[in-house]
Amino acid sequence: MALPVIAHLISRKSSLKKSFPAVKFLISTQGQLASRSRIKDLVLLLLRALILVLIVLIFAKPAVFSFSQKMDKTPVSVAIVIDNSFSMGYEDNFKRAQDKAQDMIGSLPDGSFAFITALIPDNYNESHLLENTRLLRKSINEIELSFSFTDNEERLQDIFSYLQNAPTEKKIVALITDFQKNGWSNEDVRKPWLELIDISNGTNSPNHAVSGIDLNYINDSIRVVSRVSNFSNDIVAELLTTTQLGKQEIREFIDIDPQNSNALEASFTNYDILLPGSGSVQTTHDKLKADDVRYFISNYKEESRILIVDGDPREDSRLSETYYLARALETISENAATNITILDNNSILNKDLSDYQLVYLANVGEITPSFAKELEKFVNDGGTVVIFLGNRVSMGSYNALLKNILPGELLSLKEDNLSLIPSSTSIFPKDITDRTDQIRVEKLFNISIHPESEVLFKTTDDSPFLIKKELGKGNVFMFSSTADTSWNNFSITPVFLPVIKMIHDLPNIKKNKSRHYFVGEPVKIETIEENDSTVIVDPRGKELKVNIESGEFQNTWLPGIYRVETDSKLNYSFAVNVDPRESNLEKISIPSIESSPEQTRDLVKVFKEIWRYFLWGVIALFVSEAAFRGIFS
Amino acid sequence: MSNEILDIETAVRLKGFNFRASSKVSGYKSGIHKSYYNGISPDFLDHKEYSRGDELKQIDWRLYGRHDRLYVKKFEDEVNMRWCILIDKSASMDYGDGEYNKFEYAKKLCATLAYLLLKQGDSVGLVAFSEDDIELIPPRAGSHFITPILDKLETLKPSGSTGLKDPVLKALETYRSDASFVIMSDFLIDSKTIEQSIKLIRNSRKEISLFQVLHPDETEFNFSGSIEFEDLETSEKVIVDTGSLRHIYRKRVMEFIDKLKHICHENETRYVLSPTNQTIEKSLIQIANK
Repeated sequence: MALPVIAHLISRKSSLKKSFPAVKFLISTQGQLASRSRIKDLVLLLLRALILVLIVLIFAKPAVFSFSQKMDKTPVSVAIVIDNSFSMGYEDNFKRAQDKAQDMIGSLPDGSFAFITALIPDNYNESHLLENTRLLRKSINEIELSFSFTDNEERLQDIFSYLQNAPTEKKIVALITDFQKNGWSNEDVRKPWLELIDISNGTNSPNHAVSGIDLNYINDSIRVVSRVSNFSNDIVAELLTTTQLGKQEIREFIDIDPQNSNALEASFTNYDILLPGSGSVQTTHDKLKADDVRYFISNYKEESRILIVDGDPREDSRLSETYYLARALETISENAATNITILDNNSILNKDLSDYQLVYLANVGEITPSFAKELEKFVNDGGTVVIFLGNRVSMGSYNALLKNILPGELLSLKEDNLSLIPSSTSIFPKDITDRTDQIRVEKLFNISIHPESEVLFKTTDDSPFLIKKELGKGNVFMFSSTADTSWNNFSITPVFLPVIKMIHDLPNIKKNKSRHYFVGEPVKIETIEENDSTVIVDPRGKELKVNIESGEFQNTWLPGIYRVETDSKLNYSFAVNVDPRESNLEKISIPSIESSPEQTRDLVKVFKEIWRYFLWGVIALFVSEAAFRGIFS
Repeated sequence: MSNEILDIETAVRLKGFNFRASSKVSGYKSGIHKSYYNGISPDFLDHKEYSRGDELKQIDWRLYGRHDRLYVKKFEDEVNMRWCILIDKSASMDYGDGEYNKFEYAKKLCATLAYLLLKQGDSVGLVAFSEDDIELIPPRAGSHFITPILDKLETLKPSGSTGLKDPVLKALETYRSDASFVIMSDFLIDSKTIEQSIKLIRNSRKEISLFQVLHPDETEFNFSGSIEFEDLETSEKVIVDTGSLRHIYRKRVMEFIDKLKHICHENETRYVLSPTNQTIEKSLIQIANK
């Protein structure tokens, strides 16, 4: 309808321009004629619009009608998938998705089949392909909002595969969703068989969330550092945040900039840190409530503690020996409760290492006999020592004082330009070993390895690069080169982080016991060994059984604190939280969700036809008007 | 260049005509205009009883013989006249091509009139005005004074909007004694302002003649089709279908002209409509006497 209006306006504006002294008479005169000409203009505009619509309808009728008939009458087998990921809890999105599904069932052509399913099945029992609309409607109401998300494309593909046995020729998967970006690995979500229905209200869904919690134990206090994120384009002002631990509560108001996060510290003093406890960080609710609270477990004893000894510290931390090592460990610790301490050479000589699970020695020059003894005890007790060598390392003192620990004897220094290859006994997976050729080693120690040690990586001239030795209950790993980039580029290659993580995750390393999980993540229950009286009490107080064979508890669909109890006695607790990635309600790009390809093709075809007629209509309109003007002027 | 402004042929043809003020004026040189100062003109006006200070030579001795009282004769004096020509140089005057350009026409009208007035022994001054710019040449007598007037007219460029009251006030300051005002403009302003300006002049006991210079387009409005008109002074724009508007427009313009005539009549002011397709002679002759 814009075309006749444009045509109308163009024809109005196509007047000559002239400067004139007596415009005041024209204006006063025109006022008299204005109402008359406005009516005339309006009639003219309506006539033009009417003519154009008539022309288009006359010519385009077959295309328009063929499209609507096609959509209406063909029997179809449709899988109605309701997105129940936790972002759908925003406002009443989930309720509207259910209503939409009800509408769809009502509008199915005769002879159609349908089944209802949730995008995240959780513990929902999927219905079968049915023709009975009453049962289908009942299935819709049985779907519950999840606190998780999934790989949408894989899930939809599975659903479509299920549809292959459907009795009708046409098979459609209809997804009713908010198009929140998380869960879609590919922005172009369109498929020929996929019909996408956007249930969200517009594109802007402001949301804030408690997105992370860290616990720090300091003497007799616990410091809870929570991160509250603002996923909107407006500032969040004076947001009430409550940190609760046991019976204590700390409240604070915070402001968060748009698309940013703010760290909030709550210190609980005079607290017995050895006493296991649980708590939460909660903000005032917004339209998506599920991510406004995050739960945590305080368990100092089970905290994983790592000590890094930097033998060559610098004022600018980026130049320090352990800069890349610390970054790698920080990344790993994001998913596990880990406390990292970095000390210099002097600070560790009289250090009690029993508090730590992992000790990294990076280019440590001074080793005292007492420290060597402490280190040996630490490993024998189940600790893991990772040694990086360097220019401060004295071969003599290392070989003499650490001879029981070292997996080999340091022989000499050599300089070359070598790359790395995995040894045949490497414990690392293929995706790590395939990329070792990216590592260049320019300087390293020649090492004569002990018979009980094994080489995990070696250089192309067969010199050991990473050697492992098991000692007592613990392990020793030794790199024949530096932890920084002065002798090699290992720490800046993609191999570094996976190698450090592998060492960190080795099963015989004295590890922390993780007490924090995401919704849907299976939890290994420690006390389940052949004890079938152990139950898990979920956040609602419901007692759930554990799979004795696997020792895993999989029913972590609700966020909150879960209690592991044996004979009604608490063993320990663990916290389950929503994945903060789902809190960012940014949608996938609009062009990809406008319509499914099949629909688009049909629409494009129809509109291509219509545009052609519109064009001819406009030309005809202009020509006829010009002719009329010529006749009557 | 100056010769183009001055219509010599018209001036020659109008040589036998006098341009007179319709009421008496007070002048300082002998001229053709009746003066309030009686005495040196041969036309006897009246007698008055002698009082100290009267010249003895003006005593009417015959009357003294009849009435035994001293009377002095009073004569009607003829003096020269001071003219103030106000020419509108606002942007609205810059309409029309070539000789039909309103401003060019007004300049020619002004130059020719000034020439004829100087020729008959009057003094002529010039006020070129727009709302925010007033240029004034004080009155001088003598034929040679045509040169600075022509030079000034030559340099004038139309711009700005029309403002009449301020130029009139400024001219009145200069012409404190009797004078005759001639205003050449399109008078495309509010009629009340025109009336107030005329009244200001008339209340100062001065004569006025108005020349309303209009282009035939302004009176006839012989355009065709749809045209977007932009005002020369205000830049106001209006799109009109000229065909449907012509009749009403003409009516409006005529109403305005009639109103202006009426105002002039009410204030004993001469009004001359001067369309630019009318000769200068035809315009000037309307204020001339044989």
